[in-house]
Amino acid sequence: MILTVTLNPSLDKSYWVETPHLPLDEGEEDRIVRTHRSLTEAGGKGINVSLLLSQLGADSVAMGLLAGHTGQIVLREILDHGITANFVWIEGETRTNAAIMLPNRQAASLKVHEAGPSVPEHALYTFVTKYTHALAHAEYVVLAGSLPPGVPLDFYGRLVTIAAERGVKALLHAAGFPLRKGMDAGPYLVKPDIREQALIGDTPVSTEQEIISAGRHALDTGTELFLVSHHVTGDILVTRDAIWELDARVTLSELRNLVGADDALVAGLLYQLEQGADLDRAFRFGMATALASAEADQKLAHSRQAIDAELDRIDVRKRSAV
Amino acid sequence: MKTCEFMRKDLTSVDTDTPIHEVIYIMEQVGLSSLPVLDEDGKIVGMISERDVLRAALPSYFDMLHSTAILPSFNQLSQSLERIATEPAGRFMMDDPQVARPDQEDMQIAEIFLRKRLKQIPVVNEDGYLVGVVRRIDLLSQLSRGGFLRSRH
Repeated sequence: MILTVTLNPSLDKSYWVETPHLPLDEGEEDRIVRTHRSLTEAGGKGINVSLLLSQLGADSVAMGLLAGHTGQIVLREILDHGITANFVWIEGETRTNAAIMLPNRQAASLKVHEAGPSVPEHALYTFVTKYTHALAHAEYVVLAGSLPPGVPLDFYGRLVTIAAERGVKALLHAAGFPLRKGMDAGPYLVKPDIREQALIGDTPVSTEQEIISAGRHALDTGTELFLVSHHVTGDILVTRDAIWELDARVTLSELRNLVGADDALVAGLLYQLEQGADLDRAFRFGMATALASAEADQKLAHSRQAIDAELDRIDVRKRSAV
Repeated sequence: MKTCEFMRKDLTSVDTDTPIHEVIYIMEQVGLSSLPVLDEDGKIVGMISERDVLRAALPSYFDMLHSTAILPSFNQLSQSLERIATEPAGRFMMDDPQVARPDQEDMQIAEIFLRKRLKQIPVVNEDGYLVGVVRRIDLLSQLSRGGFLRSRH
């Protein structure tokens, strides 16, 4: 069974506008930008992984923290997708994240992300108890996304350690210092979220050489797979034996919505790993899932057929790590 | 139809040591009138309902009354709720709760709802772990959908 943890879920609002550029710095009057289309979806990185797994017909349990009215909407959507939900409720309001899609910008968007509600210490204690119980039935756990205010920066590290003690493989998909500190505990797979900054803590991961060097450092702490998006249509995977480079034969103009594409990569990869597929197949399928998601208007790929159709467009190069 | 096909896979629950004020808050947030209570191994050991909490805040002679005319005022009730706010859920929960199994048929669940006058029943697997909850409304909406389908054919 796969467990996904989203400590800072969100209600994702996507807006498509016709305005060629957002007049944020012009004039002194308020500006109104009208949308011609909008979508509201449950979100947060772990929840995105659960949503995609449910699309593929795989069961998962989504855990984390929810609050207020937006929390209720997020819970309802998770349950409507047939996903098992096991959340801790806190005071306040689950955040809303907005993405404004600009025309003619190859899926580029302006994203406005809220910080999320403040988390009291006792809620974290309750969460850890539930998490520990849930691990008894899990094979993999995905720890993903930002930490809301009040959660210590080393919290992912603690969750990785608890999982490892119970023989559960942890996949860490996060950014900045929560990622850096979580990596110290040696999760099975590390997927840095570099949408905002190509950094792990303060270590750059932009160039191929930087990615491989950061990957080797991660392998020293016990990590087995280190996966980083390299440019929009490429990924690099560093393992103990090899360095894998994947490139998709797509043009940027085919991409419509990059929100959630990196979560789709993790979901596709994990789906195959759980089914016992080898790394080549799992990695390729993960990238196909990400591509099918990026090419869809909505956040995530809409069907298995859409994912399978991408498989032939992916080139894999594997070279020895030594 | 089997219970696992129409239950909500919602594992919202409290522990035996969860304080009553938190129990009330969670019930309000998730819109459930009762919550499963889990022990330290994560297995279900009871259910706590709005009714159990109200009963705990009311005087012990409440059940013997035929009229509420001599009950304490709203203020007094609120004060006695405040007194139990930090008490653990385990103190007021109903032990040995009625549970359903994932493979039980819908008609069996309907019978439990009617006979036991319950609004929702936790669904528990053979190892005693919570796997979902079935509410009367889930059953009703499922039955009505089935009924509509049959009437169309």
